[in-house]
Amino acid sequence: MASFILRKAEPKDVSDILRLIKELAKFEEMEDQVILTEKDLLEDGFGDHPFYHCIVADVPKQHQSADSHVIIGFAMYYFTYDPWIGKLLYLEDFYVMKEFRGFGIGSEILKKLSQTAVRTRCSSMHFIVAEWNKPSIDFYKRRGASDLSLEEGWRLFKIDKQNLLKLLAILHAVQNGSTAERFV
Amino acid sequence: MEFTIRAATLEDCKDISRMILELAEYEKVSDQVKIAQRDLEQDGFSKNPFFHGIIAEVPEHLKSKEGHTKVGYSLYFYTYSSWKGRAVYMEDLYVMPEFRGKCIGKALMSKVSQLGLAAGCSQLNFTVLDWNKSSLDFYLKQGCWDVTSDLGYHCMRCEGDALEHLAQGDL
Repeated sequence: MASFILRKAEPKDVSDILRLIKELAKFEEMEDQVILTEKDLLEDGFGDHPFYHCIVADVPKQHQSADSHVIIGFAMYYFTYDPWIGKLLYLEDFYVMKEFRGFGIGSEILKKLSQTAVRTRCSSMHFIVAEWNKPSIDFYKRRGASDLSLEEGWRLFKIDKQNLLKLLAILHAVQNGSTAERFV
Repeated sequence: MEFTIRAATLEDCKDISRMILELAEYEKVSDQVKIAQRDLEQDGFSKNPFFHGIIAEVPEHLKSKEGHTKVGYSLYFYTYSSWKGRAVYMEDLYVMPEFRGKCIGKALMSKVSQLGLAAGCSQLNFTVLDWNKSSLDFYLKQGCWDVTSDLGYHCMRCEGDALEHLAQGDL
């Protein structure tokens, strides 16, 4: 199977994008964590100020998957910023369906992303990988990626909405104890 | 201490650049800072900004030893979780040493959180260095969790020659 195209995702692709997001999450044993809907993807990816960008891998109908899909891979990314080096490209998700691996589709997607990063003058591409995911870690290290968590001690932290609201309440209480500050 | 928290403007880039360098000098890595004031102006204040800024300012009578009234900042931007949707990432949080211990850092973080929630974000993300025990403890006490520790997710980077080779398809 040689023919596939990589293209920018369109609004009509959101159903496939969500399907592939869930497949990847299932592989990471996190399927129940996906609460995103097609509506969210549509609103957040295709408005005036998109929160993300997406590339999809499209195969001709005669090569469709066992369950009749022609969108068989995707990458979701967005731009971030490092105040020391400037613009970065952040790779949020990157996945090719199992039956379509080994044909160079993943490598082509990565190449396209890197070209986008270089073209938009990003100095680096960042992403996260689970430490148990040895094949992926090897895939990226073979291509020159470095592990910032191991090498520089960076740990990724997350606060969810419930705790964010609690944090705000604490911070407000602290601030109300301080003298004469105001928020504009 | 009296201070104001407000959105950064183009005119603040000079002070933001100064404070970025202060932080880098403190960490003894100021040679790694490639971004200048004009880059911040272009990247943060054009039609499609790559980041947003918050400034902490004190009144003139409380200015720093060198005469600065802009004494802290936070840089943040919006990201996207393929599981949960809109998120906000706090990239930098800094308060000049002589103004610490007065809740300015907490106020900056609070503002970023408020703005994130207002924009429909369901999470705030940031990174902390593993040697920074006091920060790690503070965040863990606030209900944050260490994704690197708990889920084993490592932050990876592909840059410089590696990025160029990938772009050329040298696999």
